[in-house]
Amino acid sequence: MKQVRVSPPFPTTLFRVGWRYLSRHTWQSLLMVVGISLGVAVIVAIDLANASAERAFRLSTETITGKATHQILAGPQGLDETIYTSLKRSGLVRWAAPVISETVSSPQLGNVPLQLMGIDPFAEAPFRETLGEGRPPSVEQMTVFLTQPGAVLLSRDLASQNGLGLGSEIELELGGRRHRLFIAGLLEPANRLSQRSLSGLILADLSSAQEITGRVGKLDRIDIILPENGTELAAQIAAFLPQGLRLTPVVERQGTLEQMTRAFQVNLTALSLLALLVGLFLIYNTITFSVIQRRALFGTLRCLGVTRGEIFSLVLSEALLVGVLGSAIGVAAGILMGQGTVRMVMRTINDLYFTTTIRDLGIPLSSLVKGGLVGVLATLATTIPPAWEAASIPPRAALSRSGLETKAKRAVRISGWLGLALIGLGAGLFALPTRSLAAGFGGTLSVVVGFAMLSAVSLTGLMRIVTPITGRTLGLIGKMAPRNLVNALSRTSVAIAALMVAVAVTIGVSLMINSFRHTVVTWLEESLQGDVYISAPDFSATAASLPIDPRVIDRFQTWPGVRRVDLLRVAEVDSDRGRLQIMATSNADTGSERYYQWRTGSADETWKAMEAGSVLLSEPLANRLGIVKPGGQIELQTPQGPVVFPVAGIFYDYSSSQGMVLMSLDVYQNLWADTTITAVALRLIPGSDADEVTRALQQDSSQTQALIIRPNRALREEVLEVFDRTFAITSALQVLATVVAFIGVLNALLLLQLEKQREVGILRSVGLTARQLWKLVMIETGLMGLTAGLLAIPAGYALSLILIYVINQRSFGWTLQMDLGFQPFLQALGVAILAALLAGLYPAHKLGRMAAADAIRFE
Amino acid sequence: MSGLHNNQRDDLKNDGFHRAPESGDGFLRLENLCKAYPEGDQTRVVLHETTLHVARGEFIAILGKSGSGKTTLLNLISGIDELDCGEIWLGQSNLTSLNDHQRTLFRREKIGFIFQFFNLIPTLTVWENVILPLELNGKTDPRSQTQARELLELVGLGDRLSAFPDRLSGGEQQRVAIARALVHDPLLVLADEPTGNLDEETGRQVMALLDRLTRQAGKNLLLVTHSQEAAGYADRVYTLKEGHLELVTQEARQP
Repeated sequence: MKQVRVSPPFPTTLFRVGWRYLSRHTWQSLLMVVGISLGVAVIVAIDLANASAERAFRLSTETITGKATHQILAGPQGLDETIYTSLKRSGLVRWAAPVISETVSSPQLGNVPLQLMGIDPFAEAPFRETLGEGRPPSVEQMTVFLTQPGAVLLSRDLASQNGLGLGSEIELELGGRRHRLFIAGLLEPANRLSQRSLSGLILADLSSAQEITGRVGKLDRIDIILPENGTELAAQIAAFLPQGLRLTPVVERQGTLEQMTRAFQVNLTALSLLALLVGLFLIYNTITFSVIQRRALFGTLRCLGVTRGEIFSLVLSEALLVGVLGSAIGVAAGILMGQGTVRMVMRTINDLYFTTTIRDLGIPLSSLVKGGLVGVLATLATTIPPAWEAASIPPRAALSRSGLETKAKRAVRISGWLGLALIGLGAGLFALPTRSLAAGFGGTLSVVVGFAMLSAVSLTGLMRIVTPITGRTLGLIGKMAPRNLVNALSRTSVAIAALMVAVAVTIGVSLMINSFRHTVVTWLEESLQGDVYISAPDFSATAASLPIDPRVIDRFQTWPGVRRVDLLRVAEVDSDRGRLQIMATSNADTGSERYYQWRTGSADETWKAMEAGSVLLSEPLANRLGIVKPGGQIELQTPQGPVVFPVAGIFYDYSSSQGMVLMSLDVYQNLWADTTITAVALRLIPGSDADEVTRALQQDSSQTQALIIRPNRALREEVLEVFDRTFAITSALQVLATVVAFIGVLNALLLLQLEKQREVGILRSVGLTARQLWKLVMIETGLMGLTAGLLAIPAGYALSLILIYVINQRSFGWTLQMDLGFQPFLQALGVAILAALLAGLYPAHKLGRMAAADAIRFE
Repeated sequence: MSGLHNNQRDDLKNDGFHRAPESGDGFLRLENLCKAYPEGDQTRVVLHETTLHVARGEFIAILGKSGSGKTTLLNLISGIDELDCGEIWLGQSNLTSLNDHQRTLFRREKIGFIFQFFNLIPTLTVWENVILPLELNGKTDPRSQTQARELLELVGLGDRLSAFPDRLSGGEQQRVAIARALVHDPLLVLADEPTGNLDEETGRQVMALLDRLTRQAGKNLLLVTHSQEAAGYADRVYTLKEGHLELVTQEARQP
């Protein structure tokens, strides 16, 4: 007969056992808290950056699109303003608003990117609340705004931040030209969110905006609000519109941009999780140690009738306490760290994806909650194995003092096989025919953890080789050190695994960045054949999209020393696959001046095909659209309606991850009836001084248009600068992961050495000098570093292969050439040994100072 | 201390453990116990058909050389270790039919433990160490707390309630352990070399205290020891030799 017994509530005295243990072992608890804090801080900082980027994008979009459900968009030349009038007259739409929008800057407003919006104030109300919310501009201010040329409205915040007020004059810069305007009214939104979205906005009357942007008689788009079930109406409007114009749902446009930045953000998140992973090794190590240290205590408790479940809960409750404390500190540190990461991420997003004008983003609570929860849950999850271990301690452990190490030694082989299996599983995941980033990261984690599990077997193997050597050269101490490491395998192997992961990440990321840089340098050499490059200033680092004055271009054509002028038009057009960037070039050597994944025919034939109407796709675009084999085609919207372009080749390009369509300038100009040029490359007569030509051109054009004129070298440097900026955050995260690992090793060593106090006391009493003791500890830590460093070499190499050929490919669509140098390997090995030796200094010092009698007395 | 007498011994009536009808042959019954441990390729027999019947309130001492299996016997009785064969009955409960979790619950409720190395919880105060078994059994009522306080007064540590174990002498620590072993009103107290880590005089005081308190409370005490003097407090003394218990003396109470 078995009955269910109801256990009494969990005894609070038992909790005290755990909490007091933590408070008595300050050093141990502190290190655990630091490990969790750092991991959580990195996660919060990255999440804040990602959330800020998303928020900036959303607020920017909301400010611009407001409540519009659809937009009528045209090609690069905009749409004729008469369409707006005829659309209104047609009675098809109730709410429509014409819009001009452009990114500008102003020296009086801090030279930061600002959104200039040209609007019709009478059509605005249903779309955007900018003019009606909070304290709207007075009737007098609105009269001035509507009647006086050059009148603009901006938020009171933006004005007061820059010491401006009503009537102040400002200059707007756009594409190298300055426009004098004045503040006719100030917008004072009611809530903080609207204040944020307005903080980067300048409103102008439609006609003023047309003048500033040089789009007289044109609109960028018409915003429309359609009822929820307006599919039929949308079709009617689409039919009403002339050729080349498209009615697009707003969500579709937003989705494309979000999709582009997602990969970048996912990568950062993955890297931040890696920092947490290293932190978790630390927690695992410390808690495992605390369990081993308390075997007798847990045994006693079991003798007194404490159940396995209660012991398990006791250890978990300690972890919970540490996890909550560490996470709280981590969240606070993450907010501080976030100031840096938000800046870095926003900069990269501005460089590569879109220009944001929102600066004050606030701190999203969700990022903090997420970071805190991840910290606590990850701590608890990591504690499960040691807590299980504690719960399995038999009561007789209270009576005998046998160690756990026999068990650990038995587990070496199992963990080795498991490690190999995990590496195999990772490789299997990469072999799956998918482009899933989640599968990619799953595989990466599997490989990393797999290598970590090899640390015990590597340590025992290496020590077998090392012991005779150190024994011969360093005597008995040389024999003791490696044996000590193997005897304390359960702890040394975890510390080695943590250090190994951090060092492997360093190797992997360094090799990836080096390879990436090397690939970009080679690509720049091949694709930048011009001597001098000219574009109008804008805020994008990767594509010149603002027009260059045709008069200036005419002067370039006849400039002394100029052998050839290549013209370029960068624009965004709609396609059957969403909005795409196109680049139309007059460079007849395109076929030979780029690297191709494949192309139809020879270099000359490629250009001929382009002149006949074929296009080339950059690799990321081809990957994104799935057009990877010859015979593909793409449909682009032209003013004459949709046109299908055969794809004549795919070229490698690293200027943007969203990719581009490359076509002949003649073809573009014929189809789009657009003669705008946004970039020019000059080739000089051999022997000409590019710097001198640059200076002369700058001087000459300054009166007409302030252009960015750079010699080839300067442009390359700038591209590489953007590159380095993009990876700045990656490097910062990598350093942080190493710091966490260093703390992990320091922790492990300290615990290991302190645990040996009794043994050390005996050694000291038989005559071991402090200096010899120091030597013993340093050999031990050095050997741990060596093991971690040596294992990190294959692990780091594997990680670099994964990052280069899987993660990068799937995230951004780029093929990178592996640049395999010895330097990252040697550097990493050095870092591992140095970190371990540094971590050994304090324990060596502490033990050296301990009196032999005290050490022996230690229990 | 009176409370400890009054509320005990209606045995194991509603506790859900396996039971048999009261046999009358003894309150604690060890029936043909066997236990062997592997030692390399060999097997070392520690207990071989060991049998012992103990009446209620009896104090039994077991002497034996190191490695003779004394501690193993205690571990088996407390359910810490598992038998190879045989049965252990405490009252009407057959311990051998219980699983690990049930044995743990049985131990927390029915057994008090005293160790050679005291094994107090270093992070708990004297008071907390003593009330731990009460809390484990869900006895947090004021009456139980009063009894715990009385017990600590009886062992002479009423003024050291908030001291941590590292502040106490060996003898004091063992007195706390005695209070801890008795506080939850167990049926059986097991003492494993309780004087083994104490000087002669302190050992004598601790033994006298243990004897007095267990007898006052009417508990069964099973003591394993090397010390003839400690064994002298027992009602019956056995030696454990080659896996068998041999009776040495009966009613050999010290004056």
